[in-house]
Amino acid sequence: MAARESGRIKDAYQKRVLDEAARKRRQRKALEALEQDNFHDDPHADLVMSKKVPKFQESLDSRGAGRKKKTKSAEYYKQRFRKTFAQLVEEELNFNRTPPNYASAQAPASRFPDRHFCAVCGFPSNYTCIPCGARYCSTKCLGTHLDTRCLKWTA
Amino acid sequence: MSNVSFILDNGACTAKVGLSTASPKLVPNCIMKAKSERRRPFVGSQIEECRDASGLFYILPFQKGYLINWDIQKTVWDYIFSKEQCSANLSQMPLFITEPHFNFPSIQEAMTEIFFEEYDCQSILKINASGLSCYHYRNKNPTAKCCIIVDSGYSFTHIIPYVNGVKVKDGIRRIDVGGKLLTNHLKEIISYRQLHVMDETYVINQAKEDSCFVSQDFYKDMNTAKNKLEINPIARDYVLPDYTSLRRGFLRQPEAPGEQQTLRLNNERFAIPEILFHPSDVGIHQIGIPEAIVDSLKACSEETWPHLLANIVLTGGNAKFPGFRDRVLKEVRSLAPSQYSVNVVRPEDPITYAWEGGKLLSRDSRLSSMIVTKEEYEEEGQAICYERFDI
Repeated sequence: MAARESGRIKDAYQKRVLDEAARKRRQRKALEALEQDNFHDDPHADLVMSKKVPKFQESLDSRGAGRKKKTKSAEYYKQRFRKTFAQLVEEELNFNRTPPNYASAQAPASRFPDRHFCAVCGFPSNYTCIPCGARYCSTKCLGTHLDTRCLKWTA
Repeated sequence: MSNVSFILDNGACTAKVGLSTASPKLVPNCIMKAKSERRRPFVGSQIEECRDASGLFYILPFQKGYLINWDIQKTVWDYIFSKEQCSANLSQMPLFITEPHFNFPSIQEAMTEIFFEEYDCQSILKINASGLSCYHYRNKNPTAKCCIIVDSGYSFTHIIPYVNGVKVKDGIRRIDVGGKLLTNHLKEIISYRQLHVMDETYVINQAKEDSCFVSQDFYKDMNTAKNKLEINPIARDYVLPDYTSLRRGFLRQPEAPGEQQTLRLNNERFAIPEILFHPSDVGIHQIGIPEAIVDSLKACSEETWPHLLANIVLTGGNAKFPGFRDRVLKEVRSLAPSQYSVNVVRPEDPITYAWEGGKLLSRDSRLSSMIVTKEEYEEEGQAICYERFDI
C-alpha cells in the first residue's frame, strides 16, 4: 500500500517551485523597496522650467546681498562632492580597515529564531507556500496569496 | 566671546535648528513637490503653505543616513539660514552641527569646507547627536558616570555607550531600521490589504505617528486583534485627510463606512513598531533594540555595566511610540545580568533632546577648546578637524 500523504504535497510536484536564488532575489527587492524615497514619478518632471522666469517670492539669495562674495550655487556642490553611497562604503573599506568602523558597527544576527507572519493578513502563520516560500495562516489567506502575489511578477 | 551659538542638529528627515538662546525649530530636511502646485517646490517648512499634501514627492539630501545629495542639502541650508527661518550671523558665533556615527571622511571634509568657505562660519563644533544627548543627560543627572544612548531616527537606530562622557566606539551598534522603513512597510501592507497608498508617504507617515504603539505582549495582542470588532480593543479606523475639510487624519472607533475615506487598522498598529524589536520580521537579519543594548554593553568593560544599565536614554522620533520605554525596559531587564538594576529614561521630547543638549553645551566653559575656528582651519586645513572632533 502506498504511503499516505497529503493532497497538498502531491499537487506540489506539478507546480513550478521557485529556487533558493529566486527567493533571495525577491527578498532583496522587497528590502530595497523599503529604502525607497518615492514610489511614483516626479510630478513636475514634465514641466519645462525656464530659468529666466522671475521668481516673485523672496529669493533665497537675499542672504548674501550685503556681501561682496558671490555665493556658489547648489549645482556647484553637487558636482564638487559627487559620490554615491556605494562609493563611500567602498572607500571606507579600503582606507579604514580596522574596526570599529561603519561595517563593524552593524548589528549582528539574532540568536533567537525568526518569527513568521502571514503574508496576507499579518497574523502569526504556521504554513509555507510551496511554490514561493511565503507564509500563510489559513486556506482563505492561501487563496488570496495564490491569486495575487505568489508567482506573479516573477521573471 | 558671547556665548550665543547656532545649533543645527542635521537629521536625515528633520533638522532641529535655532539659536542657543531660543527654542528649536523643526524643519523638514528635504524638498517636496506637490501635484497640486505645479510650479513651486517646497523647501523645508514651506510645506505648511501647501494646501494639498497628497502624493507628495520627496527629494532628500540623505541616503541610508548619510549626506549624499549636496545640492539638495545646500538649498535646504540656505533656506534654514535665510530670514524666512532662522536668520543668524554665522560669522559671529560658533555653529554646532551634528553628524552621524562613522560619517565617511569625504562627507566630513565637504561639510567643513562648506561651512567655513561658503557660510563664512567663525567657528564650528562637529559632534554626534548622541554626544549632545549624553551631555544633556549628564548635565541633568550629574551623578551618572555612564549612559547608553539609543538614537532611533529616520534612517537607522544606533546604540552608543558613553563612559565618563566619552563614547565607546567598539560598543556602537547600528540597526538598519528607522522611521522611513516603518512608514514604507506600513504603506506596503495597507496598499496590499486595503487601499493603494504607495504614493502617500506624507499621509501614511502621519497615520503611523497617530495610530501605532509598541505592544507589551506581542502574541497576546495578536490574539486580541483576531477578535470580532465588538470585542476588539485594538482595531481602529483612521480617517484620511481630504485636504478640503480635513488637513490631518485622525484615529477613531471603527464604524460602518461613511462618506469619509478610512483605513481599518488592526494588527498593523503594533506590528509596525515591532520591527524595531525584531528586524527579522521583515527579513533584516539583525538583532532588535533590546538585544543590541545588551550586545553593546558586552563590548564595554564589566565594571561599567551597572552604570550603563542604570542610565539608558531613548532618543529620536521612534521613541515617541507609546509603550516604547516600557517594552525596552522589560526586555533589557530579562536579558541583562540579574544582579544589576536597569533603568530606562524617555525624555519628554526625544526629538529635540540632542538639540537641547547643544543649548546646554553652548554655556560650557570648555567650549572654546572644543571648537575649530576659521583661522585654525585656514592654517591647518582639514587635519585640525579630524584631530579635534571625534565623529
